Amino acid sequence: MKRYAYYLSCINESMTKEVDRSIELWQKDLGIELVKLHEGTCCGGSNLEYVSPKHFALVNGRNIALAEKMGLDLIVSCNTCLMTIRTAKKKLDESPELKKEINEILKEEGLEYLGTSEVRHLLWVLVDDVGLDTIREKVKVPLKNYRIAPFYGCHILRPSTVLGHDNPVDPTSLDQLIEALGGQTIPYNHKNRCCGFHTLLVAEQESLNVAAEALQEAIESKADFIVTPCPLCHTSLDGYQAKALKNAGVESSIPVFHISEMIGLALGYSAKQLGIKRHIVS
Amino acid sequence: MTVPTDQHKEGKKDVTFRVFRFNPQVDSKPYFDDYTIPVERGVTVLRSLNYIKEHIDGSVSFRAFCQAGICGSCGMRVNGLSQLACTTQVWDVLAKSREPGIIKVEPLRNLPLIKDLIVDMDPLVDKMKHYSNWVDSTMPEAQMGKKEFLISEEEFLRYDKATDCILCASCVSECSILRANREYVSPAVLLKSYRMNVDSRDAIHEQRLAELVKDHGVWDCTHCYRCQESCVKSIPIMDAIHGIREDAIESRGMKDTSGSKHAEAFMSDIEKKGKLIEATLPIRTNGVVWTLQNLLPMAMKMIMKRRTPPPPPLVKSAKGIKIFRKMFREMTEHVKQDHKSHKK
Repeated sequence: MKRYAYYLSCINESMTKEVDRSIELWQKDLGIELVKLHEGTCCGGSNLEYVSPKHFALVNGRNIALAEKMGLDLIVSCNTCLMTIRTAKKKLDESPELKKEINEILKEEGLEYLGTSEVRHLLWVLVDDVGLDTIREKVKVPLKNYRIAPFYGCHILRPSTVLGHDNPVDPTSLDQLIEALGGQTIPYNHKNRCCGFHTLLVAEQESLNVAAEALQEAIESKADFIVTPCPLCHTSLDGYQAKALKNAGVESSIPVFHISEMIGLALGYSAKQLGIKRHIVS
Repeated sequence: MTVPTDQHKEGKKDVTFRVFRFNPQVDSKPYFDDYTIPVERGVTVLRSLNYIKEHIDGSVSFRAFCQAGICGSCGMRVNGLSQLACTTQVWDVLAKSREPGIIKVEPLRNLPLIKDLIVDMDPLVDKMKHYSNWVDSTMPEAQMGKKEFLISEEEFLRYDKATDCILCASCVSECSILRANREYVSPAVLLKSYRMNVDSRDAIHEQRLAELVKDHGVWDCTHCYRCQESCVKSIPIMDAIHGIREDAIESRGMKDTSGSKHAEAFMSDIEKKGKLIEATLPIRTNGVVWTLQNLLPMAMKMIMKRRTPPPPPLVKSAKGIKIFRKMFREMTEHVKQDHKSHKK
């Protein structure tokens, strides 16, 4: 059983609770144990870094230091948390002064940021550590009748100087996971595009247009569902779907799954157990 | 002496360029023309297009000048990705081509099309004018030309990278928000605006910033990083966008726009609970009326699915919040000190 520290994303604790619930169901089946970091705090959601770059470094240096204290890598299941925490790590690793400054403060909690733990997305752990062969072996209900549109989202790909796992122009890890679960990925131009989530409250019309385009392509390609490794993309594509499509004059809909639910289905768990009924689009 | 066959094959290939064609004065809709030409290793997309124009079809239209990645004229989409034709190697593109041996060449997105691969740059130039993308000098006119206007190296380093922009419009073409609304300021103009606003010789910082925080301005960026990823000069464009936002918050406070109020919520929630309080985020960003008008139907659906975020009192603080809060506030003191010494 390989152990990891698991970062609790705010959205997974409030709106998309089904993500962590479904991971809990199958983690041991795939030989991994995610230890929840209850002391971890909000990463700043790609906003804190310009509100106050130093608080941003402190908060996320601490999030990583908590995992380092346990001697484990930090695993994240939200793209934006991933990008945000990795950005902080890069800044801290490149600036000894900044590292020293936050460590002076972290001392109070008995923590120190060292730079020894990696910050990784759950999808990367599945593909690289668990391995596609193991996943293939564990599948009980292959997703063989499903045509699936892989929506990677931005912050697992870009900026590539911070992420660097997949080629941002033509990513493959999610496609590989889908295939290992027996599903069929469809060619999907929006796979590496944006869901519009981050401006839903600031530039709603623009965000809805962005989401609608991604939904429309999947619908026109006759995909059975979209799958995404990011709960924010899920919220934009599922939660705001009716509004986005109505706005674009499209009378249709398409379900959107989290990767954790797709894995759960293939490993034999029911839609009810996985919390799929909590989605807005069914 | 015979050349090994493999090496020979590797050195030269027949490549099909699938070129976007559209002349609005004649054509009812766009179409693609295929041109198959022999291409040697080391040849760029631009040289291939020049060959096609010279030897096969003189009517193919594109814009190009320096052929060396300096002038920024030949921005176009090569296999879907916005880049300069003159610095893009055919061999490199072929290696990643989905359809073997075929390279699709299309005009940049998000700008009006003039003909074939040529887009109209005027909307971009108009935005540069609108956001005063030049240094409006603080030096009195009488002194100009008579006195040096020095800047420190430290200051120059803040916008050194931004000055590398050659206005090729690749970022404009890749921008997610511009694709959704062409009124949006656009990444290239934000980059230039940042560069001018951090220049100590400039006199219209406040005026430019006031324009940047309005609708279709800096707060509409959705952080997709496509601009930065496609920049042909590897300029960290998002750093410039974040730089403008940081400046806006410092100079104008956090109460004047929905963008800054949204950002403030993160800062204050983290200090309070260590967690984002999502339930009140729309109200804190846009007020009660907007929230009721825009989000009520969705909120009803969310309640039915038990998907609503918990009300603020029920948001559980992160474990160990007391010591976290103390450390957070200690950093606030550091930041205050930084600002004081910066002002000196």
